[in-house]
Amino acid sequence: MATPKFQVGDKVRIKDRTTLFHTRTQKYIRKRVGTVVEHRPEWVIPEDEAWDRMETGRKEPFYVIRFKQTDLWPDYTGFAQDTLESEASESWLESVKG
Amino acid sequence: MSKIRYESVMTADRNLNPTEHEEYDSPYTIPNDRYAALTTVLHDVGGEPDFPQALYTKSEEEWEMNTYVTCECLGWRGAWNSEMRRRLENDLGKTQYYGFPYYGRWITGAARVLVDKGLITTDELGDKIDEIRARLEKK
Amino acid sequence: MGKQHGDHHDGHNTFEVSSKVSEFEILELAIRELAIEKGIFSADDHRKFAEWAEAKGPHGGSKLVAKAWSDPAFKQRLLENGVEACKEVGIDWLQPTGVGTPSDYTYFYVLENTPQVHNVLVCTLCSCYPRPVLGMSPDWYRTPSYRRRMVRRPREVLAEFGLHLPSDIEVRVHDSNQKSRFMVMPMRPEGTEGWSEEQLARIVTRDTMIGVALPRADRTSDAGSLAEQVR
Repeated sequence: MATPKFQVGDKVRIKDRTTLFHTRTQKYIRKRVGTVVEHRPEWVIPEDEAWDRMETGRKEPFYVIRFKQTDLWPDYTGFAQDTLESEASESWLESVKG
Repeated sequence: MSKIRYESVMTADRNLNPTEHEEYDSPYTIPNDRYAALTTVLHDVGGEPDFPQALYTKSEEEWEMNTYVTCECLGWRGAWNSEMRRRLENDLGKTQYYGFPYYGRWITGAARVLVDKGLITTDELGDKIDEIRARLEKK
Repeated sequence: MGKQHGDHHDGHNTFEVSSKVSEFEILELAIRELAIEKGIFSADDHRKFAEWAEAKGPHGGSKLVAKAWSDPAFKQRLLENGVEACKEVGIDWLQPTGVGTPSDYTYFYVLENTPQVHNVLVCTLCSCYPRPVLGMSPDWYRTPSYRRRMVRRPREVLAEFGLHLPSDIEVRVHDSNQKSRFMVMPMRPEGTEGWSEEQLARIVTRDTMIGVALPRADRTSDAGSLAEQVR
């Protein structure tokens, strides 16, 4: 079990990597900054699983990331405290200073 | 498939084609922004503009429940996993992804994976479909 | 159209006749029969999985919530380890295969509503749903419209379900995009003091556990929601 690189409370940015054919990283969270709120187990990453590499697939720590809705949508119509949570594997995340 | 059936299928198919033939009938070249738009992963719809719509609740039809169970059994016994199913739904392309009901996407993906992995052949599949259609229509 | 079978000189006729049986029904039977003939899975596997699926429904989740409302220690266990706590009400996430279902996996998290936070579920990429506790997802949950809009316009979509949340509550949308499965634990409503777990379970409807409705002492079905009335 690899030690997770990010801790609860860390600010992270979702990378915007080119993804042809399939992805589990939604376009609306890409390049957005959120906060790690929970750890998940190590899972086989969907990039391997989606192409039948379940047994031999690469495993990574996964995280729950919480975003402020107003950071996701410039035209958000709700209230400032509204949030959204989604999960990401470690290779999709980069640290944000501060 | 008889000639008559072929013709009616082709008529239905033509009506599904994009109407902007000049732009979408295999152009010689396309700008990069159109490439980006056309390669956006199909199932990634979160946040796309849409209108409110009536939200129906209906119970599963028999073929829908059977599709769910058949697809899960294929996963259980190692023919695929559920992430492959979700990826194969994207592989359907926009016309079928939005044109089919939810479980229509599942069962088409199941057919595809069995063929791709060499577990069945396309002629076996086609013959089986014809056999079952004949059997059900006799009833 | 409307001509008899066998009248094949009309080019439109055969298509009509074929449509008596759904092509999806035919395709499913073809795949199932070929899979059984080739030994990919057995008829018994199919029967076993179907029995499991048909027995599933929102009642499992209702039981979890009713028990959590009645027993603070159970509620704690449920929030800490969803899969383990499920066993106490007879829900085993490893069933029916012994290793879980291919589509639901075995990671279950219960999201507690509080006076400050209201949770709601969506899966924008497909329609991931906690079948072992809630059964099959409702049709509207799988529509591109719900998937597109719930993440971006949650309060408007909730209002379409008849749920208007105050401006000081945090609406927290959970976009279920990996292997975790979620269920919302709504707050126990007023007017249910002294109720038994069985009584409580009846008002914990499917929609309250997706987060598009709140339980009420006088409501035991989702049919009262605005969305349902549109039908």
